[in-house]
Order: sequence, then structure tokens, then C-alpha cells
Amino acid sequence: MHARVRQSAIATAFAASFCCSLWSAQAQTPAPADASLYIIYPSDGQRIRGSFPVRFGLRNMGVTHAGDRTPNTGHHHLLIDVNEALEPDEPIPTDKQHIHFGAGQTETRLDLPPGKHTLQLVLGDADHKPFSPVLISKKITVTVLPPRVRRSSQALRAEREKRIQRSGSVRP
Amino acid sequence: MPGESTSHVVGSPRRLAAILAADIAGYSRLMGFDEEGTLARMKRHRRELIEPTIHEHFGRVIKTTGDGFLAMFDSPLEAVRCAIVIQQSMAARNTSLPPEQWIRYRIGVNLGDVIVDPDDIYGDGVNIAARLENMADPGGVFISGGVYEQIKNKLVCGYQSLGDEKLKNITDPVRIYRVLPDPTAVSGASRARAKWNWTAAGFVGLMAVAGTGWYAFLTQQPTGSPEAALSPPVSVPAQAGAAQSQQNAALEASANPAGLPPPPPPLSGELPIAIPEASLAPAAPSSNAQIAAVPPPQPLSKPADFGTSFRDCQHCPELVRLAGGSFRMGSNEDPSETPVHSVRVRPFALGRYPVTVGEWNQCVAANGCPSPLDGDSMAPARNLSWADAQQYVVWLSKSTGQDYRLPTEAEWEYAARAGSSGRYWWGDKVLPKMANCKGCGEPYDSHQPALVGTFPANPLGLHDLAGGVAQWVADCWHPNYQGAPTDGSAWTEASCRERVLRGGSWRNDASYARSASRAYYDSGVRYPAHGFRVARSL
Repeated sequence: MHARVRQSAIATAFAASFCCSLWSAQAQTPAPADASLYIIYPSDGQRIRGSFPVRFGLRNMGVTHAGDRTPNTGHHHLLIDVNEALEPDEPIPTDKQHIHFGAGQTETRLDLPPGKHTLQLVLGDADHKPFSPVLISKKITVTVLPPRVRRSSQALRAEREKRIQRSGSVRP
Repeated sequence: MPGESTSHVVGSPRRLAAILAADIAGYSRLMGFDEEGTLARMKRHRRELIEPTIHEHFGRVIKTTGDGFLAMFDSPLEAVRCAIVIQQSMAARNTSLPPEQWIRYRIGVNLGDVIVDPDDIYGDGVNIAARLENMADPGGVFISGGVYEQIKNKLVCGYQSLGDEKLKNITDPVRIYRVLPDPTAVSGASRARAKWNWTAAGFVGLMAVAGTGWYAFLTQQPTGSPEAALSPPVSVPAQAGAAQSQQNAALEASANPAGLPPPPPPLSGELPIAIPEASLAPAAPSSNAQIAAVPPPQPLSKPADFGTSFRDCQHCPELVRLAGGSFRMGSNEDPSETPVHSVRVRPFALGRYPVTVGEWNQCVAANGCPSPLDGDSMAPARNLSWADAQQYVVWLSKSTGQDYRLPTEAEWEYAARAGSSGRYWWGDKVLPKMANCKGCGEPYDSHQPALVGTFPANPLGLHDLAGGVAQWVADCWHPNYQGAPTDGSAWTEASCRERVLRGGSWRNDASYARSASRAYYDSGVRYPAHGFRVARSL
């Protein structure tokens, strides 16, 4: 029974991809060939502590809000730690890893857990679908450092005194 | 026989008339309690109150029965006015007596084509009036849809629709409305004051004080009325005798300026003119309650008819009445869902399903909403922004006179949990055929959500709170529950760009379909997986 469910799921997935390949040509919004999308900040490989801003860059196209069908305009989507390829004819997903900026924002602030993370921008059309050719930035990697353990000067002094006391008691 | 009349022209036996049927609730009990006293008081009421009042409203008494009477009016408006005056005057008279001696009439008014004999009337129209009277609460007035249509814009008081009822031995179902006179005007009402302009005294006065129009008053009413109903009883000894004579009543009226509502009657739990909670609905199979104007007070403690559903109009979303209660909101699974905190929500009604394409397009057709939606009419409406959803609830409120709104985030989670504390209402594990989400099993179509109601309802009778379309709620987005309200209200600021979405969508995996899962999106931006469901205050 379980196997059957999986089988039918595969079958639907196959049918879906088939239908999409037929549709994709007309459904996607064209983008100018010289347009490019990039992340202004942070830079690839940067090590950051705490929350940090992300600034979006777009050349040879305009940023607008979602729903606006003016040619050569779109809006940003930021992909965080996304490894799967986007489906070209589907709206870009919205979840904790696909952040939408449908109001036409050009920057955001992220607060990610410590560790390595990848960031990538995708431009979406009025319906949140990728353009053709797809406008996607280079995928950058940032390392978020663990928050610095901040101790008050009082605690630091108490600690130092304890250390001195301990060393003092050992000495005689 | 009192009030028999031959004024009607013999020879035209059929005519359209408003029929008023009334009887005394618990007549046998009253007679058993005090036969002679009850009879004497009943006769006095007839002589002093009922017959003159009917006469004043251009009606005539057709006949009296042991404990009731049948009257006929040319105008449905006059008939209902008369009914209200009788009820209010009776309430005033009862205030001087212990509750077990109260004489309380039940009144039904119907508009129908009847056969008129010199000393009786016959026909369906009469039978329906009698059935309405039978259904009415003691001290209450029930009217048929035909009467309502005639008076709804002319008589300023509340009308609560109780839906279409199949009455015994009547072929077609009859739409029934409960008339809700202003509760504050109850005990002070006497014939002197209440005759024609009874509404003017307390009711319009209140409106004037509020300095707002009728509509504005209505919109304030839903939140205000429960408190009004729960206000402590005020004893009014001065009133006991006052109601007995017109003269005193007039004095009392003058001492009680029109702008100030008269004091509420003693024993507010047993209002002489019952402004009852929807006590009829649970028994009725098609409990289809609607309040066309002033909603009845719903005391918080009353279990009333929670769990039952209703519609405010034919194409309105079906709502389920939910009892309020406390629950633990949030989870420790994602930082946005912390801290877990206790929230108390008030009773409210929530859409059984998300708003459908069909329901949305009704709003579009009425020019209340933008952009018609394609697809199956039972598919959840989607590709809607928070602002779109807001337009829908505004339109629905305006067209029904009810306080429709988006649910608050707390209300949404309370409804989604349905008493559970796990990840899903059915438990902690994803089970097949429970939710419309990615990897949650068949039926699943990656391109569109399932039709509403495809997946089973939770214990509260609500569908599609896990997956399907992600649903807008009233709250602004806050990254966690630090400082969140605990009274079930929406957490909002004057202008927030992002609003909360709950339930996840069919495009998200099962972790987004959890009861506690939260998401946000720009409130002015549409997305194909975003829809909403409506809430209504009770």
C-alpha cells in the first residue's frame, strides 16, 4: 500500500513535469539578455557575527511590486540554504527558505543561526515566477559566527579574583 | 365576546392581512398557582392593555381563546408595533410581581391571504401565525419573512433571522425572524410612552448620545451587547406601582429623560421581555441563525449552541460557533512560535472552510471585491493579498450587517488545535489523507490545492486548517510571541507591512501544516497559495 502511494506520487510528478515543459515557453516572462542580479552585501565567504543586512542589486531591469506587469520589471526573492533547483514555470515557493520581497524591497535583515549559510537572489515576475532566461544571482556563502559571550566587567573582575585566590591558595 | 367586529365588508371573504397570534406561556402553570388571581389579571390586561393597544394600531381582535387571542391588522408594521407595545407593557406590569406570577405572552405575526368571516379568520396565514406564536419565547415576538420584508427598513429594532423552518402542516418552509426590541427600553416602557414612538425614547436617544448614525451604532453593538447583558441588576422599587397607571407612567417618563435609557429590570437573568440567546437554534435541524440588526446578547457563560453552524445569507460562508476558552499557544519547534503562552479567546464563529472561489466571486459580482477568480467554485479562493481578504470581510459585513473580520492569530490557532496540544490536531505524526501538503500523501496535486472539505474536519467541525491554502489572519507579523496579547485579540500596530499567515499551503511540507506554524507575507501582495477564512464575533 505504501509502495503504491509512492508509485502514484511519482507518476503525478512525472505528469506534472511533462505538462510544465510544454507550457513553460509561453508562460514565462522574458527578461532582457543583459540584465543581471547580484548580492551587494554581504560578499561571498564573509564571516559575520549576529544579524546582518542583505542588499540586493539588479542591473538593466527595474524593481517593482508583485502583480505589476510592466515589461522588464520584477521583484526579489532571497533563497537561504536552498539546494533544489527552481521549477521554471511554478511560482517561487514561499517558506522559511524562500523569502519574498513582493513590495519591491531591495534589502532585508537576516538573523541566522551560527554556521555556514548560502544566499541567492532570484527575480520573479508579476506572478512570482522566474523570468526567461532565469535571473538568478551567484550563490554566496556566509559564515555566521556564534554570538560573543558578553560578560559584565563585574563578572570579569570576580572571575579574575577567584583565579588569583585559587593560585594564591596553591602557592604556600 | 370582546372585540368582535363586523366592520369588514361581507362578500369579499379573502383579503391580505397581518395576523397576530398570541398566547400566555405557561398558562396552566399560572392557573395552577393562582387560578382566580391569574384570571383576574389576565382579564384586566385584556381590557386595559391588549384591546386598546390593538385598537390604537388600527387592528381588531378576531377572537380570544382561553389564554390567547387572534388579531388582524391592515398593516404588518402596525401589527409588529402592537406586538412590541404589548410585550413591553406586560414586562412593565410584571416587574411588580414575583417571577412565578409573571404573565408572559408569546406572539407570532404573519402576513397572509386569509379568509375572513365576521367572527373568525381562516387559512394558512392564520396557521402560520399560530405556529410562530408557538415557537416564540415567552415575552418574545416572532415574525415571518413576509412581515420582515415589509417592516425591515421602517421599524428601528433588531431582527434575528432564525432561518427557514418547516412548520407543521405547512407546505413550504417559512423564514422566521425574532424581533429584538432595545433591551434597555424594556422595563420603563408603559403604554403612555411606548404607544407610537417607543423607539424614540431609549433607542434613538442612545444613538444621539453616541453621536453616530444607525450603521455606526450597529457596528459598535456586537462588542457592547454582551456587557450590557451582564450588567448587574438594578432594583427599581419606585417602578413597582408606576407601571399600574398611565398617569404615574407619564410622570416616570418625564422624570426619565429621553436620552437616558430606563433602568434595567430586576432579575436581569429573567428579563420580562426576553431578549433571548438563540435558544431555538440547537433544536432546529437547519439552525440557520442570522441577526439582521442588533444581535442578541450572548452571555459568556452560556454554552448556547456552540458547535452548530449557520450562514448569514444564502451565499455567505458557513460558520461554526465556537465556545471561547483558554489554550496554550505556540510551540518550541521554531523560534517564531516561542514562548508558548496561555491565551484566552472569547466565543466567536469561524468559517467551516476557507472562503471559496464561488463565495469570493459573489463579492466580485457585487463590486465589493477586485479581480474575479477562476476555477472550481468549491476550490479555496487564492492568489489574494491580506488587503483583498480585508475587502471581502468589509463587504460581507456591510451586506449582512454582521461583524465579519479575519480571525485573530490566537483564534486561528485555538480553532486549529481544537483542544489538542500536539503538532497536528490528530497527533504528532503526519498521517495520510489528513492534510493537503507536500509529502502528506494523496490526494495531492502540486499545481493546485484540493477543493475545500476534501480532508476530514477537526473535532470542532472545521476543515482545512492544515495545508491547502495558507490563511491570512488579522495580526501584524512579530518574529515571536514576546509581548503578545493573551486575551485572544489581534496583535496589531497602526501600519504594519507584513501580516501573519497560518496553516501552511499545499506547496509547503508537513512542518508548515502544524497547528503552531507561522508565516508572514507583505499584506498588499498576492501569492497563489494564499487565501483566508472569515470569523464573526458572536
